[in-house]
Amino acid sequence: MALSTQTITTGFLLPSIHSAPPFFTQQPNPSTQSIATEQWVRLILTYARHRKLFVLRVEDTETGGSDWGEILRNERINRKVLPSHLSSILEAMVAKNVAAYDPPKQTRSVLLYWRLPEEWADVLHEWATSTGQLNTILTFYDITDPPIESPLSNIPVPLLRKAIAILVKSGRAQSIGVADGEGVRFFTPSR
Amino acid sequence: MALRSCTVSVDGSIPIQALLYDDEELFSSQDGVGIYNGTQKSPGHQNGVVHATSHRIFYIDAQYSRAHSFALDLNFVAQTEYYAGLFKSSPKVTLHLSGSAVTSGISTPKSGFESWECEVCAFRNPPGLSPTAVRVCGLCGVPRTVLPETTAPASLAQQNSSTPLPSTVSPAFSSSQNSVACSVCTFLNHPSLRSCEMCSAELPRVRRESVPPSRLPSPDLEDTDPSAPKSIKISFRKGGDKAFYNLLKRSLQSKAWEANGAASKLKIASGSIESDTAFDGTTSGISGILRTVETSAQGRSTHMQESLRDLEALMIKAKDMVQLAAELNEKLTAASSSTSNTSTSSPMSSSATLVASTEPEEATFIRSSLSQLGLQMSNTPVTLDMMKDERRWFEELARELARVLQGSTPPKDGAGGMMRNRGMIALDEVWGGWNRARGVALIPPSTLLQVIPLLPSCTDPPIRLRTFPSGLNVLHTPPYTREAFAARLSSFFVMMGPKTTIQVALEENLTVSLVAEMIDIGESEGDVCRDDASAAISGGGSGTGGEVRWWPNLFLGYTWDGQI
Repeated sequence: MALSTQTITTGFLLPSIHSAPPFFTQQPNPSTQSIATEQWVRLILTYARHRKLFVLRVEDTETGGSDWGEILRNERINRKVLPSHLSSILEAMVAKNVAAYDPPKQTRSVLLYWRLPEEWADVLHEWATSTGQLNTILTFYDITDPPIESPLSNIPVPLLRKAIAILVKSGRAQSIGVADGEGVRFFTPSR
Repeated sequence: MALRSCTVSVDGSIPIQALLYDDEELFSSQDGVGIYNGTQKSPGHQNGVVHATSHRIFYIDAQYSRAHSFALDLNFVAQTEYYAGLFKSSPKVTLHLSGSAVTSGISTPKSGFESWECEVCAFRNPPGLSPTAVRVCGLCGVPRTVLPETTAPASLAQQNSSTPLPSTVSPAFSSSQNSVACSVCTFLNHPSLRSCEMCSAELPRVRRESVPPSRLPSPDLEDTDPSAPKSIKISFRKGGDKAFYNLLKRSLQSKAWEANGAASKLKIASGSIESDTAFDGTTSGISGILRTVETSAQGRSTHMQESLRDLEALMIKAKDMVQLAAELNEKLTAASSSTSNTSTSSPMSSSATLVASTEPEEATFIRSSLSQLGLQMSNTPVTLDMMKDERRWFEELARELARVLQGSTPPKDGAGGMMRNRGMIALDEVWGGWNRARGVALIPPSTLLQVIPLLPSCTDPPIRLRTFPSGLNVLHTPPYTREAFAARLSSFFVMMGPKTTIQVALEENLTVSLVAEMIDIGESEGDVCRDDASAAISGGGSGTGGEVRWWPNLFLGYTWDGQI
């Protein structure tokens, strides 16, 4: 019965509770379930940060080979998260503002905020500063797919747009409409 | 005579096909025929159509088809004769009729026009069969035991005709329709009477004209001698005689009306045997079996009612006996104390010592016989009339219930109470068990509920009531309080690993439903958590109604030990 932590192939250290079958069952007792959900949220966010995953879908429970297969399923104890369970976890995450439904107005897929949009804004500005791209106009493509790997590589556009909006609000960037999409220009913060 | 006695008038306005029996077949028809009654022309039957069928010959009059048509059963025909005709005389077919056919009782034309149920196979035979076919069940072929009432008048008429009275009644007659009104007093006399029954006046002889024509057999004003040879001639004035005669002969040879004749004779014979041996025909066959079952069920219910009545009477008596026993016991205790008193106070009195020596013997005898009768005071049910007030009654009841549940305080002969080996028991079982132990003066559930709050003070260890969220009420001993049970459950899981509800029930020696209730409470309190097998990747699946295994609540106090 002694549960132990596990290190999986991607180098992620799974918590011991992941080896407990009850963790994969939706508990009828609300207080028990809230603890379980809390652990799930933490597990999902940690794993997402580890693998740089931005999107989690309810369908990910069904497909064994997806990016999420390692944590939504546990082959060693023959357990998996049922879709209904996962969607309730997603709901809790959205309620805690660590995720947002994306696209909006549905509940099947979420954008994970393993960094909050505010944190992303700081990372973005720091990156622009460190790469010397202040006062130049950058398209979204330049940011999401830079020639040199950056923390912002593959960031989803909706999340990027949110981060830029925060920078615009604090006067550190300007949103510019360019011919084939959107662009942004970063400034030094005017203090 | 021949025409009237052997034929039956039919309504010729009905098409011939409708007049046939279901199993009768029309062979030949010929129009333009006349009928001779004996050797003389029969007036009113001189122009019509004659039909030969497998069972009968029909004459349908062309002019008065309603009044003058008739049918003749072929079984009356003893012999036929053919006359080819000469010059102006038409070809003729002579039918010699035998009176004996009447006595076979076949001529009951109306009997076929009703449906009847076979006594043996309960098959409902359809109406419309010929008189011979109607005597036998169409499904199982067993002869009909109860013949329609129409046979009775037929046999009556047959008896009448055999009496020396010069009767003119034909078997098919219905007397009420042919009653003859007296011309003097207007009394309706039986048609066979010659003078009025009331006033002895001469009745009008020409009574045939007064009866309804549709029911009237062909008029026959002479030839009243029954012994005269009877014959009917059919005169073919428009030819067709040869073909008709051939078909008629074939029909007579095939004797379709006798197809079941043997069976019917057999029936008559067996029927007489049955009635001789007082063997009721209704007790055979399926309907007979059904009737037997009904009677036996009826008998059983009456027996049951009677015995229940006995039981009620016994209950009333039992109450009296209990009272008697109580009185006896009181008297005995009083007597023994008084005798001991007297023996100590006046040992000199010889009579008193005699009484003292005899009394205990009698007392023990009475007590032992009482206990043999099961009326020992120690397990006499407490009833309300024994008690002074209700409060004391409830207390007494609680004490009694405690005995039922836990057994007598010094356990004797191993017969413990209901909760001797069980820590928890459902209230319905308690109620049933208690009332069974009482035997008489049963306790209603409402009283049981009133008694239960007093129970902890009377029991050791205290037994308490517990109500589950589902509404189930149980009595339990201290080890089965929520806290104690939860602690036991958790340690059990920790030691033995996760278990299903049934495994827990086996371990606790409780019913599964009780354990399920307890674990549900434990889950809602957060003592345990569940592992539903429907969350399995393979094997379980949501469709298989996977088993739930119970785990100690490992979420409580869990700290993150995974990747930071």
